[in-house]
Amino acid sequence: MDRRKIDVVLSTFLIIVSLIILTNDNLVEGGAESDLGSMFLPRVVAGLIILFSATIAIQSLLKLSKGTKIEGLELISTDGFSGILIYIGIFIVYWLAVPYVGFLVATPFIMIAVAILLGGRNWVPIIAMSVITPVLIDYGSKEFLRVYLPTWAF
Amino acid sequence: MFDNIISGFSSILAIGPILGIIAGVIIGIIFGAIPGISAIMAIAIILPMTFYVDPIIGITMLLAVYKAGIYGGSISAILINTPGAAASFLTAQDGHALTKAGKAGKALDMSLFASVTGEMLATLVLILVAAPISLISLQAGPIEKVFLLLFAFTVIGSMAGESLPRGLLSCCLGMLFAMVGMSTITGAARFTFGYTELMGGFTFTPMLIGILVMPEVFNVIKRRLVPHHEMTITHSPNPADNRISFKEFRSVFSTILKSSGIGTFVGALPGLGSSTAAFIAYGEAKRTAKKPEEYGKGSVEGIAAAESANNAVCGSSMIPMLTLSIPGDDVAALLMGAFLIHGLTPGPMIFFEHTETIYAIFAGFLITDLFLLVIARSGFKFFVKMASLRRYYIFPCVTVFAFTGAFTAGQNMDDILVLIAFTVMGYGMRLVGLNPAVFIIGFILTPFLEQNLDQAMSIVGTDYYLFFASPFSWVFIALSVFFVFSSMRVRRKTSNTSAQVEDKTA
Repeated sequence: MDRRKIDVVLSTFLIIVSLIILTNDNLVEGGAESDLGSMFLPRVVAGLIILFSATIAIQSLLKLSKGTKIEGLELISTDGFSGILIYIGIFIVYWLAVPYVGFLVATPFIMIAVAILLGGRNWVPIIAMSVITPVLIDYGSKEFLRVYLPTWAF
Repeated sequence: MFDNIISGFSSILAIGPILGIIAGVIIGIIFGAIPGISAIMAIAIILPMTFYVDPIIGITMLLAVYKAGIYGGSISAILINTPGAAASFLTAQDGHALTKAGKAGKALDMSLFASVTGEMLATLVLILVAAPISLISLQAGPIEKVFLLLFAFTVIGSMAGESLPRGLLSCCLGMLFAMVGMSTITGAARFTFGYTELMGGFTFTPMLIGILVMPEVFNVIKRRLVPHHEMTITHSPNPADNRISFKEFRSVFSTILKSSGIGTFVGALPGLGSSTAAFIAYGEAKRTAKKPEEYGKGSVEGIAAAESANNAVCGSSMIPMLTLSIPGDDVAALLMGAFLIHGLTPGPMIFFEHTETIYAIFAGFLITDLFLLVIARSGFKFFVKMASLRRYYIFPCVTVFAFTGAFTAGQNMDDILVLIAFTVMGYGMRLVGLNPAVFIIGFILTPFLEQNLDQAMSIVGTDYYLFFASPFSWVFIALSVFFVFSSMRVRRKTSNTSAQVEDKTA
């Protein structure tokens, strides 16, 4: 993937967001009067974001228009991206499941899923690890940190 | 100061802090030695566990993880030519060459002794220098602090980013995210879009784990088809090849001293970090070596130079943080967050408001070196075995620890959403060349900037020229300009050199 194209899209997005920050007064609600004002610093930062984003976009656009060869860091390798998407999916399922089924029930399945994703096929140690780790974490959190992890909600 | 140091030692020499240090050293070495996991990842995962203990125990444990993690990076570098930490890249060259020659024990010993010596010397400098500098920085008022913070943003953004605009953009994005939620000055709700959950801003721990830790997990998953490398310590039939003799250590001691000095100096400058220190010290050691041709092919002196310099950074990177409230690199930023969570605001006042705690932490810093020496020396085989664990055992655990860490911070499932969002963002930032560490530094320092800017505005009123009345202001403006231009020059020089090399090879 050509990073220069992403640079142009991302910079355009950041410039639009910064312009909204610079022009929209509804982004701040309430607050007391002060010498500085609540939106002074955000607007200064937005101005700087426009400056730096534009610099990046112009550099990338120039390279694209000249047809310059892609250099090392400008080439984003997409090999293995499917694994990342699956991992994000697993994490989202984890986030959604824990409030309902609890930490102790959800975690072993998630650990096994991640282990399989990483090529694990030694079932006995993987299952043992997936059961023991959440039990230890739950016990440690409760006893030492006084943090109660979510439990079965039904 | 001497009384404070003694009192610090008496506070640290208790069961709690010592157990914290031991646990920190073990965790740090294991995490540092595992390729794909860095010291910063270990600190971020351990951080939530320290919330509920005394700051002396919690902070010293995190510092022990940091020191041991940087050292641990050299184990995988030496044994399988895969640096556990970026700073161990040079150690990998010489260390792995020695491993292939059956002298892994010698390389591991040299790395350990050089690391501990470098760390200890830098820690002594930290203890001796931090308090006097803090006395000077106490003279700074809000106006000077504004320029100091602007200097920090400029230096870190320009030195640490892939390019100048990308580094500074990373910093600005961090600043923007820091302004989400209720303003500490006016009490106004900014960028909350009516969501009350955003009033408190983004929770620091999940954001930190998301930006700095989880993208590393993504990298491992992306490379999941790359074969696993088993680590083994090669042994030579000649016992002298399996260890470092006192004579050998003495012969490289001057290199260690010089490299530690370089590491300490580089570490004290914001934005450079341990990799830069290792490269400079290695280059200097090679330049002055009697046998420079051995460097990169199994030079014990080369390992000593790189390791002492990169470990010296651990101590000295705390100097700008503790004296000026400026974290010099990503780990220092993380530690600054830990200090803040524990109710200690890093800065010159810490030496007066929390004298006992800060000197206890310093004492813990020194004691950590001794524990690192003993634990690492006696447990090489254990650490190598732990670091050789297959990734499908390690990363499911990392996932769960990240989840638990993010939840523990606020005991709120929304924080897990913050973790997921910032994980994706952190990985995306790496892909487009933005620097997540600079983002975090921008995020941490912005509230201080806004507070000081507001106070400075109250002082100057409409007489804006007063901003430039103090010589400090001009000094920091000049330094900022200098760093930006020198960074641009270095980058131009580097790109010209690499272009020439490419032309020659073509």
